Amino acid sequence: MANEFHAHIKTSLADANLQLALDANSEKRIKVRQIAFESLPNPQQLRMRAHDVRARVIDHLDSYLEQFITHALDNGIVIHHAVDAHQAIEIVSEIAFKQGAKLIAKAKTMVSEEIKLNHALEKQGFQVVETDLGEYIVQLRGEAPSHIITPAVHLRRQDVGKLFEDKLGLPYTEDISLMTNAARHTLRQIFLDADIGISGVNFGVAETGTICVVTNEGNGRMVTTVPRTHIALMGIERIVPTMDDLALMLSLLPRSATGQKLSVYTSLIMSPRRADDPDGPQERHIILVDNGRLKVRDSELREILFCIRCGSCLNACPVFREIGGHAYVGKDGKGSTYPGPVGSVLAPALFGQDEYGHLARASSLCGACKEACPVDIDLPKLLLRVRAGIGVNQPRNIAKPNPPNMLAMGLSLFTLAATSPRRFAFAQRMVGIFGTISTMITKGDPWIHLPAFSGWGYSKDFPSPAANSFRTRYRTQVKHEVYEETDLPPHSDSARDNSPEPDVSSHYDEDLVAIFANELQALGGKFRISSTEEVWQPILEILQSHGIHEILAWNEDTLPDMLLRKLYEAGIQIIFPTSENIRENSQVRAGLSGTAGAIAETGSILILGGPGRPLTASLLPEIHIAILREKDIFMQLSQLVKLEGIKQAPAAVLISGPSRTADIEMTLTIGVHGPGELDIICLRDNHANVAMDNRL
Amino acid sequence: MTTTVQLFITCIIDTIYPETGEAVVRILEKAGARVSFPPNQTCCGQPAFNAGLRAQARKMATQTIQAFEPYPGPVVVPSGSCAAMIRHTYAELFAEDPEWLQRASTLASRTYEFSEFLVDKLGVTDLGASYEGKLTYHSSCHLLRGMGVDRQPRALLAAVHNAEFVELPNTADCCGFGGIFSIEHPEISDAMLERKIENLEKSGAPIVVSCDAGCVTNINGGLHRKHKNQRAVHIADILDKV
Repeated sequence: MANEFHAHIKTSLADANLQLALDANSEKRIKVRQIAFESLPNPQQLRMRAHDVRARVIDHLDSYLEQFITHALDNGIVIHHAVDAHQAIEIVSEIAFKQGAKLIAKAKTMVSEEIKLNHALEKQGFQVVETDLGEYIVQLRGEAPSHIITPAVHLRRQDVGKLFEDKLGLPYTEDISLMTNAARHTLRQIFLDADIGISGVNFGVAETGTICVVTNEGNGRMVTTVPRTHIALMGIERIVPTMDDLALMLSLLPRSATGQKLSVYTSLIMSPRRADDPDGPQERHIILVDNGRLKVRDSELREILFCIRCGSCLNACPVFREIGGHAYVGKDGKGSTYPGPVGSVLAPALFGQDEYGHLARASSLCGACKEACPVDIDLPKLLLRVRAGIGVNQPRNIAKPNPPNMLAMGLSLFTLAATSPRRFAFAQRMVGIFGTISTMITKGDPWIHLPAFSGWGYSKDFPSPAANSFRTRYRTQVKHEVYEETDLPPHSDSARDNSPEPDVSSHYDEDLVAIFANELQALGGKFRISSTEEVWQPILEILQSHGIHEILAWNEDTLPDMLLRKLYEAGIQIIFPTSENIRENSQVRAGLSGTAGAIAETGSILILGGPGRPLTASLLPEIHIAILREKDIFMQLSQLVKLEGIKQAPAAVLISGPSRTADIEMTLTIGVHGPGELDIICLRDNHANVAMDNRL
Repeated sequence: MTTTVQLFITCIIDTIYPETGEAVVRILEKAGARVSFPPNQTCCGQPAFNAGLRAQARKMATQTIQAFEPYPGPVVVPSGSCAAMIRHTYAELFAEDPEWLQRASTLASRTYEFSEFLVDKLGVTDLGASYEGKLTYHSSCHLLRGMGVDRQPRALLAAVHNAEFVELPNTADCCGFGGIFSIEHPEISDAMLERKIENLEKSGAPIVVSCDAGCVTNINGGLHRKHKNQRAVHIADILDKV
């Protein structure tokens, strides 16, 4: 076993703070995931469908990638191919040099961690700032994330308070909302000043060329909307074939990751800013990163490429819970970008059996990871393949396992005994005699106290083997054996569920508006109903209750007639935000937008960017007020993603409640980079449908 | 027609817990089956397989397959993880050997875990067992997640006369055994076992029942070292009590 790994394990187990943090993580995450899955009609079937979709993608990766690239190019996105980390870094820095960029704002991307992008860019003189709160914290500490979803899961509030005192010069506090606010304030300027925004990609949709980026805090929206240039780093396996498949994945990813039905912001990005768009980056680049993935695809570890990076296997894993993400280190003691069960397969697959193969040995193979996996990856099977030495450059026939020497020796002896009934019986007699003697020495105690170095003796006693084995005793009792043919029905669990896809059409009879309102309120959003003519009144009330006199608003053509005029007459200054004026208007506290649709069962609204519809109006202010027509509410995400408008918009976003984070001690804090208040006003009259039909 | 079952006793019960093996035989007979013990059986090969030593595991697996081939009828295994090894994992072990794959899958298709066989195949839950006191149940990983067997042992325990069944908090959490894992990573294994013991204490039961002698050995080994009074027992030892 790698000694560095063992040393890290011992350090983690002895760290009381870390143990508290990891316990809290597992307990909370497992519970919220369970609750979130209960809201799905047939979660097991969805997992199997998702597994099949991911399998199909990896089987036909080349053609799906080609489709994706063709559409993305048509949409005006620049596509780059990076074979390895070195090329990926070169592409990013080339773009950055060409732009004369100084400041780069990043949303969380595990691919960038994998290729060590920050370090490389900083060496070339760029300032790189992580904007996900958890990732910002670990960056300030000069650490790598310890969890792929909650990077600072290993820290407690005191650690963060101290860090902010040291690095940001803030007075020490243990108040998480104060810390979050401080980060919001510091990072707000970064978003506005950044020349380039870098994000990851959760999914790329082959049939449309759309990329989907999921965040809760709003930083993902910021870096893909505000800076002049957006670069998306995308692992080549991150493809889904269709928008329907995307809806399926989105029904599983946030539920598995954070127990949310949908993350607060689900951005669907199509194109760069076009001539008539008020905002959005002038340039969008996608860097397709291979970095070993194609080789993994052609190996027996290919199933690990099905992973959608939800982190639920980390939360479910009893070993991760004991040792935490930073303990997963390579032979050289350097941390593995991907920890936990998925990392124990992915790291050896991508970065070498010799370097990381030992990680797969730290598993009791309990199967909690497989059970938690939203795409039903058979992680125990893959862990066992890694243990057998099967890897990217080690197919089955030449695979060399690397168990610790003593263990291999012991097992060789065992195998020798167990491959002959006679030798086996003889060995049993020997250990039986050993057991009898041991019991005599201990004056009748049938327990053997093995030394700690034996492994077992570290914390457990071993029962004395019986003087006479079962087979010996059986032989003396049973005279003969009876043989008989019997027919048995097949096992109940042998056939995998192959029943047809479930009916995705709505099976609820309840009022869509009521369901939507309930879900929205559960997320912390506010809901009101109004007529079209009077919609200005509740808006004015909201603004007045906060003492607000100016608002970032969509163009009047995209909102109900007379709305902006009424507000103006009531003394509200109306500002139409664009990329050009956003810096001077970044302090405006309220934003007003329409919506293109809503999802009742998740309480989400859909916002489409495009002419007259600046995305920043729903992103920068503290308060976002959105107008929703009753008839635009659908039951499910799978219905909403079929809207033509999504493909025509440069970028779309699903918003599920106010911006939030739980990056410090998993304590929910509302209002990070996006709005902390979300008011939805539902227009419930026939007039509304006519008035805005051709506008959204 | 009386069913004759081929008993695969497993190496742990064979070597360490012969009385448990005898209880298994008595219970199967009480439930109406005839029991046969194919003499050439040794170990299913799981220890070597889990260590990554597949060549060795294959030797033990072929030994096991051959040991049972002459004996028709259901193969009953009083251990969730050994049953799961035969039923699911042999396919992985022989993926590139069509002949042995076929022979392995024939064995897999007639292999059952003990409690599963009693309840699902023999249709028995009440075996007339009686136990005075509190009992709780640890759902072993490979039995629960590998084989999907949970309802069956619970039904058997629910039918034990005079026993008070209490739920073990987080029963589905691994006890930290994991075969060779517990030897390679004793520190992590211990931390996991500590939680299991804590939950056992919370349950208030002096006895925790499991369908896997591996879990029983692990949990008892820790309980004994830590001077705790609770004990883990194999389900056959409870069902055998009258």
